[in-house]
Amino acid sequence: MSRYVTLKKSDADFLKYMWGTFSGTERALPIESLNPGTAQESITFEIKNLKEIKRPSDLFIFSCLIKWNYFFLLFIPLFYVGVKNYVFQRIFDPTSFGLAAAASLFLFAGLNIRNDVIDHVSGFDRIIKTAGKKPLLLGWTTADSANHISWILCVIAIALAVPVCIRQHEAVRVVGITLGLFLAGNFLNKNNYKFNHFSEFVLFLILGPALCSGYQVAMGSGVDTEILIFGTVWGVAVLFLLYIVQFSNLFETSQAGIKNTLTQMGFDRSKIFLMSWWSFFILLWTVYHFLYASQFWLWFGTAILIFWSLPTFIQITSTHSPIGSDLIQVRKAGNRAFALMNGILVFELIWYIYTQIQGPL
Amino acid sequence: MSVKIFSPQDFPAYLPKLNSLYDDLFAGGKGFRSKLVQIVSKPLKLSAETETLLCQTIEFIHNASLLHDDLIDRSQLRRGKPAAWTKYTPEYAVLAGDYLLARVMVNLSGHGNIKLVQYTSGIISDLLEGEWLQDSVVGDFFITVAQLDRIHNLKTASLFKWCLKAPFIALENYDKELHVILDEMGTLLGQLFQRSDDLLDYDIRNDEGKVILGDLKSGYLNSFGAFVSAKMSRSEIDQMVKSKDLSDFYIIFDPDQAAGKEKFLSKVNQFDAVNLQKIELYHHYVQQLSGKLMLMKLDKTSTEQLVQILNSLTDLLYFRKKSV
Repeated sequence: MSRYVTLKKSDADFLKYMWGTFSGTERALPIESLNPGTAQESITFEIKNLKEIKRPSDLFIFSCLIKWNYFFLLFIPLFYVGVKNYVFQRIFDPTSFGLAAAASLFLFAGLNIRNDVIDHVSGFDRIIKTAGKKPLLLGWTTADSANHISWILCVIAIALAVPVCIRQHEAVRVVGITLGLFLAGNFLNKNNYKFNHFSEFVLFLILGPALCSGYQVAMGSGVDTEILIFGTVWGVAVLFLLYIVQFSNLFETSQAGIKNTLTQMGFDRSKIFLMSWWSFFILLWTVYHFLYASQFWLWFGTAILIFWSLPTFIQITSTHSPIGSDLIQVRKAGNRAFALMNGILVFELIWYIYTQIQGPL
Repeated sequence: MSVKIFSPQDFPAYLPKLNSLYDDLFAGGKGFRSKLVQIVSKPLKLSAETETLLCQTIEFIHNASLLHDDLIDRSQLRRGKPAAWTKYTPEYAVLAGDYLLARVMVNLSGHGNIKLVQYTSGIISDLLEGEWLQDSVVGDFFITVAQLDRIHNLKTASLFKWCLKAPFIALENYDKELHVILDEMGTLLGQLFQRSDDLLDYDIRNDEGKVILGDLKSGYLNSFGAFVSAKMSRSEIDQMVKSKDLSDFYIIFDPDQAAGKEKFLSKVNQFDAVNLQKIELYHHYVQQLSGKLMLMKLDKTSTEQLVQILNSLTDLLYFRKKSV
């Protein structure tokens, strides 16, 4: 027999239930409402005894919370910056580079958890369907505990970033700009960092040009045009992933009154937009390779990328409903295209390392 | 209660076929939704005229949706008789559906409660959105129960919500907290009713003699189908789609038909268990409603009766217990 508690947002105990601090032996699992107005008024919690919750290992929960499967968003730029500067022999401060890399990983993990906590408290995690598990919704941990872990990870990140800023003064500017952008994105939006119009642009800057130039500055090589162009290409690709997620949640977010690029366009125009955005990415990819890569990778890499993108375009075109299983297929196709692009890039970078060691063929 | 005529302008006799189409359509209906309106209206002491108007409104909207639905789905039968579009032509079926909705707006706006008109229009809009979305997922055999829930919330539950909320709106009671509770109750009732209706397709509690596997054969995977197929492989889903009858369906679970039926029935039990949780949640909301009604200082006996009937609705709507 389940036990339910409905609390108004103005109730004194509401936050205790939301953060999971109301009991040491029970968890309050918020129930999704299909009525858009309900969540603004009150939330109904299913109260479960801790013994009733099948909890996986702490390591598994932690990996779900930090979203380790998205870490490639940092690894690829990190690898790129490392290889680029290795090839041009411009790694002047490997220690700072290592520290900056570690700091970014801790910060990314901490912010991912924080994002989950915000989503949980705002009710966003009940609207957005993601492929991964949601430890907070499943009652594996409380928002309060997750928040503490998030802070610990962020403090470690800051501790690692301080020596970088001391060793490489230019890094202070990059960190300052990134922090400013992050705070602007965070405070100017009510719903969620990832699902808001202005925040999309901030996300592009942070995970694109700012991240790439930040790594390069940390190793003492300064900012150059190439890193900014690569950062832009990468940022556009990251936004494609975000738009795919927005597309697969178009109906739910529209009903909830959330405004983002795709909900504002609607279903039919979003399909065209998604294809145009990925085409735009391919164009930028080509420009970047034309300017900075070998002819082989310009033609070969781009040809494979275009060829592999066709199934994505076909899948998007053949999607007929904003609510059916087609959306999962679009998401898979989009992720596959993105993964292949990463694969090409990694092979290309390994190729540059190889030719650097062996000399040109 | 006859809901055909509320205003003298309803159903003029000079229009050919309209009256006989109406009589055919309404004759076999149980009028469950208008009964629910009456049940909720009783402790609120609504005037007889308002109660009749609300009953007419919900029955007209519901039947308009059936007229359009049958045409969209190309269903040949409605309540055991030829569907209106087959007997009176598709054009007349569309016009009759539109006419019912138009009468709803004429009579409701005459009542003068603009909030009620606005809310009712919103519900009609939800109904159409649900129908639109349902049509967009025909042929999608990988759809999830959660996705179908969202469609059913618009298409089916919206009318249940209306039945519960409209009497309060007619009384000009706009208490947000109360309406949130009623919305949640309506959503759950709609879901349970739809899921039970979907089980009929698989001959579970099918006392009404609904066509077996009708939804599946028309390319529509209903909520029970989605529940059963959630962990099936692509080839099993192909096999499911090609099922001509239930014996074909059973062997998806086990080549031995008897064992397959056993496994199928255990899936039904699992589905019931999931829905029992929804029933528990519904009862939680009825309890919340009971508290709100007490604060409204209504007649205690009729309020208790209302709560009792609302609590027993899940037996009627999900388990199809006629004795309720």
